Amino acid sequence: MSALVRMRLAGFLRTGRALAPLLAGLLALGILYGGGRARPAEAYGVSAVVLFPVLAWQTRILLDVEPDVQRRLAQVLVGPVRERLAGLLAAVLAGVGTVLVALVFPWLVGGVAAPGPGDPSAVAALALGLWAHLLALLPAVALGALASRALTRSAGYGVAVLAVGAVGTLALGLRGSVAPWLVPPVLATARALAGSLPAGTALLLSAWALAWAGVALAGYARWRRVRP
Amino acid sequence: MRLEDVRLRYRRGGPWVLRGVTARLDPGEVAVVLGRNGAGKSTLLQLCAGVLRPVRGRVVDRPHRVGWVPERFPADQPFTVTRYLTAMGRAAGLGRADADRAVDRWTDRLGLAPFRTVRMPDLSKGTAQKVGLAQAMLRTPGLLVLDEPWEGLDAAARGLVPELVDEVLTAGGAVLVSDHRGETVRLPGARHWTVADGLLTDEPATGDAAVAVVEVAVPAARVAGTVARLRADGHQILRVREPAVPPTRAAAPPAPVPPAGAGPTGDPTRDGRAGEVAW
Repeated sequence: MSALVRMRLAGFLRTGRALAPLLAGLLALGILYGGGRARPAEAYGVSAVVLFPVLAWQTRILLDVEPDVQRRLAQVLVGPVRERLAGLLAAVLAGVGTVLVALVFPWLVGGVAAPGPGDPSAVAALALGLWAHLLALLPAVALGALASRALTRSAGYGVAVLAVGAVGTLALGLRGSVAPWLVPPVLATARALAGSLPAGTALLLSAWALAWAGVALAGYARWRRVRP
Repeated sequence: MRLEDVRLRYRRGGPWVLRGVTARLDPGEVAVVLGRNGAGKSTLLQLCAGVLRPVRGRVVDRPHRVGWVPERFPADQPFTVTRYLTAMGRAAGLGRADADRAVDRWTDRLGLAPFRTVRMPDLSKGTAQKVGLAQAMLRTPGLLVLDEPWEGLDAAARGLVPELVDEVLTAGGAVLVSDHRGETVRLPGARHWTVADGLLTDEPATGDAAVAVVEVAVPAARVAGTVARLRADGHQILRVREPAVPPTRAAAPPAPVPPAGAGPTGDPTRDGRAGEVAW
Protein backbone atom coordinates (compact mmCIF):
# COMPACT_ATOMS: atom_id res chain seq x y z
CA MET A 1 0.00 0.00 0.00
CA SER A 2 2.89 2.37 0.72
CA ALA A 3 3.84 2.16 -2.96
CA LEU A 4 0.38 3.39 -3.91
CA VAL A 5 0.57 6.18 -1.32
CA ARG A 6 3.90 7.29 -2.78
CA MET A 7 2.52 7.10 -6.31
CA ARG A 8 -0.44 9.31 -5.42
CA LEU A 9 1.68 11.83 -3.54
CA ALA A 10 4.07 11.95 -6.50
CA GLY A 11 1.16 12.52 -8.88
CA PHE A 12 -0.14 15.33 -6.67
CA LEU A 13 3.22 17.06 -6.36
CA ARG A 14 4.30 16.60 -9.99
CA THR A 15 1.25 18.11 -11.62
CA GLY A 16 1.75 21.41 -9.82
CA ARG A 17 -1.80 21.23 -8.57
CA ALA A 18 -0.37 21.15 -5.06
CA LEU A 19 0.59 24.80 -5.52
CA ALA A 20 -2.88 26.33 -5.45
CA PRO A 21 -3.92 25.16 -1.98
CA LEU A 22 -0.43 25.81 -0.63
CA LEU A 23 -0.52 29.42 -1.89
CA ALA A 24 -4.05 29.86 -0.52
CA GLY A 25 -2.87 28.54 2.83
CA LEU A 26 0.14 30.86 2.89
CA LEU A 27 -2.07 33.81 1.94
CA ALA A 28 -4.49 33.04 4.75
CA LEU A 29 -1.63 32.68 7.23
CA GLY A 30 -0.07 35.92 5.96
CA ILE A 31 -3.30 37.82 6.60
CA LEU A 32 -3.75 36.10 9.95
CA TYR A 33 -0.29 36.96 11.25
CA GLY A 34 0.05 40.32 9.45
CA GLY A 35 -1.83 42.26 12.09
CA GLY A 36 0.75 42.10 14.85
CA ARG A 37 2.11 39.72 17.44
CA ALA A 38 -0.27 37.23 19.02
CA ARG A 39 -0.04 34.67 21.82
CA PRO A 40 1.22 31.49 20.09
CA ALA A 41 -1.35 28.93 21.36
CA GLU A 42 -4.29 31.21 20.65
CA ALA A 43 -2.92 32.09 17.21
CA TYR A 44 -2.53 28.42 16.33
CA GLY A 45 -6.19 27.82 17.17
CA VAL A 46 -7.25 30.49 14.68
CA SER A 47 -4.72 29.21 12.13
CA ALA A 48 -6.33 25.75 12.32
CA VAL A 49 -9.71 27.35 11.65
CA VAL A 50 -8.58 29.20 8.52
CA LEU A 51 -6.68 26.15 7.26
CA PHE A 52 -9.66 23.79 7.66
CA PRO A 53 -11.19 24.62 4.24
CA VAL A 54 -7.73 24.74 2.66
CA LEU A 55 -6.91 21.23 3.92
CA ALA A 56 -10.25 19.91 2.68
CA TRP A 57 -9.69 21.50 -0.71
CA GLN A 58 -6.15 20.11 -0.86
CA THR A 59 -7.48 16.62 -0.11
CA ARG A 60 -10.04 16.86 -2.88
CA ILE A 61 -7.37 17.98 -5.36
CA LEU A 62 -5.04 15.16 -4.34
CA LEU A 63 -7.75 12.52 -4.73
CA ASP A 64 -8.88 13.98 -8.05
CA VAL A 65 -5.45 14.22 -9.70
CA GLU A 66 -5.63 10.55 -10.67
CA PRO A 67 -7.84 9.75 -13.68
CA ASP A 68 -10.94 7.71 -12.81
CA VAL A 69 -9.74 4.65 -14.72
CA GLN A 70 -6.37 4.75 -12.97
CA ARG A 71 -8.16 4.77 -9.62
CA ARG A 72 -10.01 1.65 -10.73
CA LEU A 73 -6.76 0.04 -11.90
CA ALA A 74 -5.31 0.68 -8.46
CA GLN A 75 -8.39 -0.94 -6.92
CA VAL A 76 -7.94 -4.06 -9.06
CA LEU A 77 -4.29 -4.15 -8.04
CA VAL A 78 -4.57 -3.78 -4.26
CA GLY A 79 -8.26 -4.31 -3.51
CA PRO A 80 -10.90 -1.75 -2.59
CA VAL A 81 -10.04 -1.30 1.09
CA ARG A 82 -6.38 -0.58 0.56
CA GLU A 83 -7.15 1.60 -2.45
CA ARG A 84 -9.34 3.88 -0.27
CA LEU A 85 -6.84 3.83 2.59
CA ALA A 86 -3.93 4.70 0.30
CA GLY A 87 -5.78 7.78 -0.98
CA LEU A 88 -6.72 8.94 2.52
CA LEU A 89 -3.23 8.29 3.85
CA ALA A 90 -1.67 10.28 1.01
CA ALA A 91 -4.08 13.12 1.79
CA VAL A 92 -3.17 13.02 5.50
CA LEU A 93 0.55 13.09 4.67
CA ALA A 94 0.11 16.03 2.32
CA GLY A 95 -2.00 17.73 5.01
CA VAL A 96 0.71 17.16 7.63
CA GLY A 97 3.10 18.96 5.28
CA THR A 98 0.78 21.97 5.16
CA VAL A 99 0.30 21.82 8.94
CA LEU A 100 4.06 21.89 9.52
CA VAL A 101 4.32 24.97 7.33
CA ALA A 102 1.53 26.56 9.37
CA LEU A 103 3.33 25.76 12.63
CA VAL A 104 6.63 27.24 11.54
CA PHE A 105 5.21 30.18 9.60
CA PRO A 106 4.41 32.59 12.48
CA TRP A 107 7.90 32.20 13.97
CA LEU A 108 9.48 33.04 10.62
CA VAL A 109 7.45 36.20 10.03
CA GLY A 110 7.42 37.32 13.62
CA GLY A 111 3.69 36.80 13.97
CA VAL A 112 3.82 35.54 17.52
CA ALA A 113 5.14 37.09 20.70
CA ALA A 114 7.55 35.32 23.01
CA PRO A 115 5.51 33.60 25.75
CA GLY A 116 4.90 35.89 28.69
CA PRO A 117 4.51 34.89 32.33
CA GLY A 118 1.65 32.44 32.75
CA ASP A 119 1.65 31.47 29.06
CA PRO A 120 2.68 27.99 27.87
CA SER A 121 6.28 27.78 26.79
CA ALA A 122 7.16 27.95 23.09
CA VAL A 123 7.48 24.16 22.94
CA ALA A 124 4.16 23.65 24.72
CA ALA A 125 2.55 26.18 22.36
CA LEU A 126 3.92 24.26 19.37
CA ALA A 127 2.53 21.01 20.77
CA LEU A 128 -0.87 22.63 21.33
CA GLY A 129 -0.70 24.05 17.81
CA LEU A 130 0.07 20.63 16.34
CA TRP A 131 -2.84 19.15 18.29
CA ALA A 132 -5.25 21.85 17.09
CA HIS A 133 -4.16 21.45 13.47
CA LEU A 134 -4.41 17.66 13.53
CA LEU A 135 -7.91 18.05 14.99
CA ALA A 136 -8.75 20.15 11.95
CA LEU A 137 -6.84 17.94 9.50
CA LEU A 138 -8.68 14.65 10.02
CA PRO A 139 -12.19 16.09 9.54
CA ALA A 140 -10.85 18.17 6.64
CA VAL A 141 -9.53 15.03 4.92
CA ALA A 142 -12.91 13.37 5.45
CA LEU A 143 -14.73 16.38 4.02
CA GLY A 144 -12.34 16.53 1.04
CA ALA A 145 -12.88 12.82 0.42
CA LEU A 146 -16.66 13.31 0.40
CA ALA A 147 -16.16 16.10 -2.15
CA SER A 148 -13.87 14.03 -4.38
CA ARG A 149 -14.80 13.30 -7.97
CA ALA A 150 -15.22 9.59 -7.31
CA LEU A 151 -18.32 10.45 -5.30
CA THR A 152 -19.56 13.77 -6.66
CA ARG A 153 -18.70 13.03 -10.31
CA SER A 154 -18.72 16.70 -11.26
CA ALA A 155 -16.58 19.67 -10.30
CA GLY A 156 -19.70 21.69 -9.44
CA TYR A 157 -21.03 19.22 -6.88
CA GLY A 158 -17.54 18.82 -5.46
CA VAL A 159 -17.19 22.54 -4.84
CA ALA A 160 -20.69 22.62 -3.37
CA VAL A 161 -19.85 19.86 -0.88
CA LEU A 162 -16.65 21.68 0.11
CA ALA A 163 -18.41 25.02 0.47
CA VAL A 164 -21.34 23.66 2.47
CA GLY A 165 -18.92 21.73 4.69
CA ALA A 166 -16.61 24.67 5.33
CA VAL A 167 -19.33 27.30 5.82
CA GLY A 168 -21.38 24.90 7.94
CA THR A 169 -18.39 24.18 10.13
CA LEU A 170 -17.95 27.88 10.79
CA ALA A 171 -21.65 28.75 11.09
CA LEU A 172 -22.62 25.84 13.34
CA GLY A 173 -19.38 26.07 15.28
CA LEU A 174 -20.14 29.52 16.67
CA ARG A 175 -20.83 29.97 20.36
CA GLY A 176 -24.50 29.30 21.05
CA SER A 177 -24.96 27.20 17.91
CA VAL A 178 -28.13 25.11 17.78
CA ALA A 179 -26.35 21.98 16.56
CA PRO A 180 -22.61 22.17 17.23
CA TRP A 181 -22.31 18.39 17.10
CA LEU A 182 -23.15 18.32 13.42
CA VAL A 183 -19.78 19.81 12.51
CA PRO A 184 -16.17 19.16 13.52
CA PRO A 185 -15.02 21.13 16.58
CA VAL A 186 -12.67 23.47 14.74
CA LEU A 187 -14.03 26.70 16.24
CA ALA A 188 -14.54 25.08 19.64
CA THR A 189 -10.86 24.10 19.65
CA ALA A 190 -9.83 27.65 18.79
CA ARG A 191 -11.98 29.00 21.64
CA ALA A 192 -10.51 26.48 24.04
CA LEU A 193 -6.98 27.50 23.09
CA ALA A 194 -7.77 31.15 23.79
CA GLY A 195 -8.20 30.35 27.46
CA SER A 196 -6.66 27.77 29.70
CA LEU A 197 -7.23 24.31 28.33
CA PRO A 198 -8.38 21.73 30.89
CA ALA A 199 -7.42 18.14 30.08
CA GLY A 200 -11.06 17.07 30.06
CA THR A 201 -11.92 19.62 27.38
CA ALA A 202 -8.92 18.56 25.31
CA LEU A 203 -10.01 14.92 25.45
CA LEU A 204 -13.59 15.79 24.62
CA LEU A 205 -12.52 17.89 21.62
CA SER A 206 -10.19 15.12 20.40
CA ALA A 207 -12.90 12.50 20.68
CA TRP A 208 -15.40 14.80 18.96
CA ALA A 209 -13.08 15.47 16.00
CA LEU A 210 -12.17 11.80 15.66
CA ALA A 211 -15.78 10.71 15.85
CA TRP A 212 -16.85 13.26 13.23
CA ALA A 213 -14.02 12.20 10.89
CA GLY A 214 -14.86 8.55 11.54
CA VAL A 215 -18.51 8.97 10.65
CA ALA A 216 -17.70 11.00 7.54
CA LEU A 217 -15.09 8.48 6.40
CA ALA A 218 -17.44 5.58 7.01
CA GLY A 219 -19.91 7.36 4.74
CA TYR A 220 -17.16 7.84 2.18
CA ALA A 221 -16.20 4.15 2.27
CA ARG A 222 -19.81 3.05 2.03
CA TRP A 223 -20.61 5.35 -0.87
CA ARG A 224 -17.45 4.34 -2.71
CA ARG A 225 -18.76 0.75 -2.87
CA VAL A 226 -21.20 1.83 -5.55
CA ARG A 227 -18.91 4.49 -7.02
CA PRO A 228 -15.53 2.82 -7.53
CA MET B 1 -14.39 -17.96 -11.10
CA ARG B 2 -18.19 -18.04 -11.04
CA LEU B 3 -20.86 -15.43 -11.51
CA GLU B 4 -24.01 -16.37 -9.64
CA ASP B 5 -27.20 -14.65 -10.77
CA VAL B 6 -25.38 -11.33 -11.01
CA ARG B 7 -27.50 -8.22 -11.47
CA LEU B 8 -26.18 -4.74 -11.89
CA ARG B 9 -27.54 -1.29 -12.51
CA TYR B 10 -25.68 1.94 -12.16
CA ARG B 11 -28.24 3.79 -10.07
CA ARG B 12 -31.22 2.97 -7.96
CA GLY B 13 -34.30 2.83 -10.11
CA GLY B 14 -32.24 2.80 -13.29
CA PRO B 15 -32.40 0.13 -15.95
CA TRP B 16 -30.69 -3.18 -15.23
CA VAL B 17 -27.55 -3.46 -17.34
CA LEU B 18 -27.11 -7.10 -16.35
CA ARG B 19 -30.12 -8.99 -15.05
CA GLY B 20 -29.26 -12.41 -13.76
CA VAL B 21 -25.98 -13.46 -15.31
CA THR B 22 -24.67 -16.88 -14.34
CA ALA B 23 -21.41 -18.09 -15.80
CA ARG B 24 -18.27 -19.91 -14.93
CA LEU B 25 -14.68 -19.62 -16.11
CA ASP B 26 -12.18 -22.22 -15.02
CA PRO B 27 -8.42 -21.92 -14.81
CA GLY B 28 -6.86 -22.46 -18.23
CA GLU B 29 -9.98 -21.25 -20.01
CA VAL B 30 -10.42 -18.21 -22.19
CA ALA B 31 -13.78 -16.60 -22.93
CA VAL B 32 -14.49 -13.96 -25.51
CA VAL B 33 -17.26 -11.55 -24.56
CA LEU B 34 -19.32 -10.56 -27.57
CA GLY B 35 -22.19 -8.17 -27.95
CA ARG B 36 -23.23 -5.01 -29.69
CA ASN B 37 -22.23 -1.56 -28.45
CA GLY B 38 -23.76 -0.75 -25.09
CA ALA B 39 -24.82 -4.34 -24.43
CA GLY B 40 -22.86 -4.38 -21.17
CA LYS B 41 -19.60 -6.01 -22.22
CA SER B 42 -17.40 -3.55 -20.35
CA THR B 43 -19.71 -3.70 -17.35
CA LEU B 44 -19.44 -7.48 -17.29
CA LEU B 45 -15.66 -7.32 -17.59
CA GLN B 46 -15.39 -4.77 -14.77
CA LEU B 47 -17.56 -6.99 -12.60
CA CYS B 48 -15.27 -9.93 -13.26
CA ALA B 49 -12.17 -7.83 -12.63
CA GLY B 50 -13.58 -6.62 -9.31
CA VAL B 51 -13.95 -2.98 -10.27
CA LEU B 52 -17.73 -3.04 -9.97
CA ARG B 53 -19.76 -4.85 -7.32
CA PRO B 54 -22.94 -6.63 -8.29
CA VAL B 55 -26.09 -5.05 -6.90
CA ARG B 56 -27.51 -8.54 -6.46
CA GLY B 57 -25.93 -11.95 -6.85
CA ARG B 58 -22.24 -12.55 -6.34
CA VAL B 59 -18.91 -13.26 -7.95
CA VAL B 60 -17.11 -16.11 -6.23
CA ASP B 61 -13.66 -17.69 -6.48
CA ARG B 62 -12.13 -14.74 -8.26
CA PRO B 63 -8.37 -15.34 -8.44
CA HIS B 64 -6.35 -13.22 -6.06
CA ARG B 65 -4.23 -11.64 -8.76
CA VAL B 66 -6.27 -9.92 -11.41
CA GLY B 67 -4.85 -8.00 -14.36
CA TRP B 68 -7.30 -5.57 -15.96
CA VAL B 69 -6.61 -3.79 -19.23
CA PRO B 70 -9.24 -1.06 -19.58
CA GLU B 71 -10.68 -0.12 -22.92
CA ARG B 72 -8.98 3.27 -22.82
CA PHE B 73 -5.75 3.41 -20.91
CA PRO B 74 -5.58 6.57 -18.75
CA ALA B 75 -2.39 8.07 -20.15
CA ASP B 76 -2.96 11.51 -18.64
CA GLN B 77 -0.61 10.96 -15.71
CA PRO B 78 2.56 12.81 -14.75
CA PHE B 79 4.90 9.84 -15.00
CA THR B 80 7.26 8.36 -17.54
CA VAL B 81 6.49 4.86 -18.76
CA THR B 82 9.21 3.29 -16.60
CA ARG B 83 8.22 5.22 -13.51
CA TYR B 84 4.56 4.40 -13.93
CA LEU B 85 5.12 0.69 -14.51
CA THR B 86 7.58 0.44 -11.64
CA ALA B 87 5.13 2.15 -9.31
CA MET B 88 2.33 -0.17 -10.44
CA GLY B 89 4.57 -3.20 -9.96
CA ARG B 90 5.49 -2.05 -6.46
CA ALA B 91 1.85 -1.35 -5.65
CA ALA B 92 1.04 -4.86 -6.85
CA GLY B 93 3.36 -6.17 -4.17
CA LEU B 94 6.56 -6.82 -6.11
CA GLY B 95 9.85 -6.03 -4.41
CA ARG B 96 12.04 -3.32 -5.87
CA ALA B 97 14.30 -5.71 -7.80
CA ASP B 98 11.39 -7.86 -8.97
CA ALA B 99 9.47 -4.81 -10.13
CA ASP B 100 12.49 -3.57 -12.10
CA ARG B 101 12.94 -6.99 -13.69
CA ALA B 102 9.27 -7.25 -14.59
CA VAL B 103 9.29 -3.77 -16.11
CA ASP B 104 12.41 -4.59 -18.16
CA ARG B 105 10.86 -7.83 -19.37
CA TRP B 106 7.50 -6.42 -20.39
CA THR B 107 8.74 -3.20 -21.94
CA ASP B 108 11.03 -5.33 -24.10
CA ARG B 109 8.36 -7.83 -25.05
CA LEU B 110 5.77 -5.23 -25.90
CA GLY B 111 8.18 -3.04 -27.86
CA LEU B 112 8.01 -0.24 -25.29
CA ALA B 113 11.77 -0.02 -24.79
CA PRO B 114 12.18 3.16 -26.93
CA PHE B 115 9.43 4.87 -24.94
CA ARG B 116 10.59 4.13 -21.44
CA THR B 117 11.61 7.69 -20.65
CA VAL B 118 8.69 9.27 -22.49
CA ARG B 119 6.06 10.96 -20.36
CA MET B 120 2.78 9.10 -20.65
CA PRO B 121 0.64 12.00 -21.95
CA ASP B 122 3.00 12.19 -24.95
CA LEU B 123 2.40 8.56 -25.98
CA SER B 124 0.34 7.62 -29.00
CA LYS B 125 -2.90 5.76 -28.33
CA GLY B 126 -1.49 2.39 -29.37
CA THR B 127 1.64 2.81 -27.28
CA ALA B 128 -0.41 3.84 -24.27
CA GLN B 129 -2.53 0.73 -24.80
CA LYS B 130 0.66 -1.34 -24.61
CA VAL B 131 1.49 0.29 -21.27
CA GLY B 132 -1.96 -0.84 -20.19
CA LEU B 133 -1.13 -4.40 -21.25
CA ALA B 134 2.24 -4.25 -19.49
CA GLN B 135 0.80 -3.10 -16.14
CA ALA B 136 -1.63 -6.03 -16.16
CA MET B 137 1.14 -8.56 -16.83
CA LEU B 138 3.79 -7.34 -14.36
CA ARG B 139 2.86 -10.16 -12.01
CA THR B 140 1.36 -13.07 -13.89
CA PRO B 141 -2.38 -12.74 -13.26
CA GLY B 142 -4.66 -15.58 -12.27
CA LEU B 143 -7.36 -13.76 -14.20
CA LEU B 144 -6.56 -11.46 -17.10
CA VAL B 145 -9.39 -9.20 -18.21
CA LEU B 146 -8.84 -7.51 -21.56
CA ASP B 147 -11.34 -4.89 -22.70
CA GLU B 148 -11.02 -4.49 -26.48
CA PRO B 149 -7.28 -5.13 -26.35
CA TRP B 150 -6.82 -4.85 -30.11
CA GLU B 151 -8.14 -1.32 -30.21
CA GLY B 152 -5.47 1.10 -31.38
CA LEU B 153 -2.78 -1.54 -31.83
CA ASP B 154 -1.02 -1.81 -35.17
CA ALA B 155 -0.89 -5.03 -37.17
CA ALA B 156 2.44 -6.09 -35.67
CA ALA B 157 1.25 -5.54 -32.12
CA ARG B 158 -2.03 -7.40 -32.58
CA GLY B 159 -0.22 -10.70 -32.53
CA LEU B 160 1.02 -9.87 -29.04
CA VAL B 161 -2.39 -10.26 -27.45
CA PRO B 162 -2.74 -14.01 -28.13
CA GLU B 163 0.82 -14.43 -26.85
CA LEU B 164 -0.09 -12.81 -23.55
CA VAL B 165 -3.28 -14.88 -23.38
CA ASP B 166 -1.30 -18.06 -23.96
CA GLU B 167 1.16 -17.11 -21.29
CA VAL B 168 -1.56 -16.60 -18.69
CA LEU B 169 -3.31 -19.85 -19.67
CA THR B 170 -0.05 -21.77 -19.50
CA ALA B 171 0.51 -20.48 -15.98
CA GLY B 172 -2.92 -21.82 -15.02
CA GLY B 173 -4.80 -18.54 -15.28
CA ALA B 174 -8.07 -17.67 -16.97
CA VAL B 175 -8.64 -14.94 -19.54
CA LEU B 176 -11.65 -12.81 -20.47
CA VAL B 177 -11.51 -10.76 -23.65
CA SER B 178 -14.09 -8.47 -25.17
CA ASP B 179 -14.12 -7.90 -28.86
CA HIS B 180 -16.45 -6.26 -31.30
CA ARG B 181 -14.23 -6.27 -34.35
CA GLY B 182 -13.95 -9.94 -35.11
CA GLU B 183 -10.36 -10.30 -33.94
CA THR B 184 -11.58 -13.27 -31.96
CA VAL B 185 -10.33 -15.62 -34.66
CA ARG B 186 -6.92 -15.01 -33.15
CA LEU B 187 -8.05 -16.92 -30.05
CA PRO B 188 -9.00 -20.39 -31.21
CA GLY B 189 -10.50 -22.54 -28.51
CA ALA B 190 -12.15 -19.67 -26.66
CA ARG B 191 -15.61 -19.94 -25.15
CA HIS B 192 -18.04 -17.35 -26.45
CA TRP B 193 -19.97 -15.27 -23.95
CA THR B 194 -22.60 -13.30 -25.77
CA VAL B 195 -24.20 -10.44 -23.86
CA ALA B 196 -27.62 -9.27 -25.03
CA ASP B 197 -30.55 -7.71 -23.19
CA GLY B 198 -28.69 -8.00 -19.91
CA LEU B 199 -28.34 -11.76 -20.19
CA LEU B 200 -25.36 -13.91 -21.07
CA THR B 201 -25.24 -16.88 -23.40
CA ASP B 202 -22.29 -19.17 -22.89
CA GLU B 203 -21.17 -21.29 -25.84
CA PRO B 204 -18.30 -23.68 -25.36
CA ALA B 205 -15.30 -23.57 -27.63
CA THR B 206 -16.23 -24.51 -31.17
CA GLY B 207 -14.65 -27.73 -32.38
CA ASP B 208 -13.52 -26.42 -35.73
CA ALA B 209 -11.21 -23.89 -34.18
CA ALA B 210 -8.16 -25.96 -33.34
CA VAL B 211 -7.73 -29.65 -33.32
CA ALA B 212 -4.77 -31.52 -31.99
CA VAL B 213 -4.12 -35.14 -32.80
CA VAL B 214 -2.90 -37.51 -30.14
CA GLU B 215 -1.59 -40.92 -31.05
CA VAL B 216 -2.46 -43.50 -28.43
CA ALA B 217 -1.19 -47.05 -28.17
CA VAL B 218 -3.49 -49.60 -26.51
CA PRO B 219 -3.33 -53.40 -26.30
CA ALA B 220 -5.00 -54.90 -29.38
CA ALA B 221 -7.58 -56.69 -27.27
CA ARG B 222 -8.91 -53.40 -25.89
CA VAL B 223 -9.18 -51.48 -29.17
CA ALA B 224 -12.91 -51.76 -29.54
CA GLY B 225 -13.62 -50.70 -25.98
CA THR B 226 -11.22 -47.78 -26.09
CA VAL B 227 -12.59 -46.49 -29.38
CA ALA B 228 -16.12 -46.69 -28.01
CA ARG B 229 -15.14 -44.86 -24.84
CA LEU B 230 -13.26 -42.12 -26.72
CA ARG B 231 -16.24 -41.59 -29.02
CA ALA B 232 -18.51 -41.43 -26.01
CA ASP B 233 -16.28 -38.71 -24.57
CA GLY B 234 -16.86 -36.66 -27.70
CA HIS B 235 -13.50 -37.31 -29.33
CA GLN B 236 -13.23 -37.95 -33.02
CA ILE B 237 -11.52 -41.17 -34.07
CA LEU B 238 -9.64 -40.50 -37.29
CA ARG B 239 -8.19 -43.91 -37.96
CA VAL B 240 -7.35 -47.19 -36.28
CA ARG B 241 -4.04 -48.60 -37.45
CA GLU B 242 -3.28 -52.30 -37.03
CA PRO B 243 0.40 -52.66 -36.21
CA ALA B 244 2.32 -54.87 -38.65
CA VAL B 245 4.93 -55.44 -35.97
CA PRO B 246 3.89 -55.24 -32.33
CA PRO B 247 5.60 -52.15 -30.89
CA THR B 248 8.35 -53.06 -28.51
CA ARG B 249 9.13 -50.76 -25.66
CA ALA B 250 12.84 -50.75 -26.40
CA ALA B 251 12.63 -50.01 -30.13
CA ALA B 252 10.39 -46.99 -30.53
CA PRO B 253 8.52 -46.07 -27.44
CA PRO B 254 5.85 -43.55 -28.36
CA ALA B 255 5.10 -41.41 -25.36
CA PRO B 256 2.03 -43.15 -23.98
CA VAL B 257 -0.89 -40.83 -23.48
CA PRO B 258 -3.76 -41.97 -21.30
CA PRO B 259 -6.89 -42.36 -23.39
CA ALA B 260 -8.88 -40.01 -21.19
CA GLY B 261 -6.63 -37.14 -22.23
CA ALA B 262 -6.91 -37.85 -25.93
CA GLY B 263 -8.93 -35.63 -28.16
CA PRO B 264 -9.14 -32.08 -29.36
CA THR B 265 -7.90 -30.48 -26.16
CA GLY B 266 -4.15 -30.63 -26.64
CA ASP B 267 -1.76 -28.08 -28.08
CA PRO B 268 -4.00 -25.55 -29.80
CA THR B 269 -1.25 -24.29 -32.07
CA ARG B 270 -0.86 -27.58 -33.87
CA ASP B 271 -2.72 -28.15 -37.06
CA GLY B 272 -4.79 -31.29 -37.14
CA ARG B 273 -4.78 -32.23 -40.80
CA ALA B 274 -2.17 -34.97 -40.74
CA GLY B 275 -3.37 -36.78 -37.67
CA GLU B 276 -4.20 -40.36 -37.01
CA VAL B 277 -4.79 -42.64 -34.10
CA ALA B 278 -2.36 -45.55 -33.82
CA TRP B 279 -2.74 -48.70 -31.83
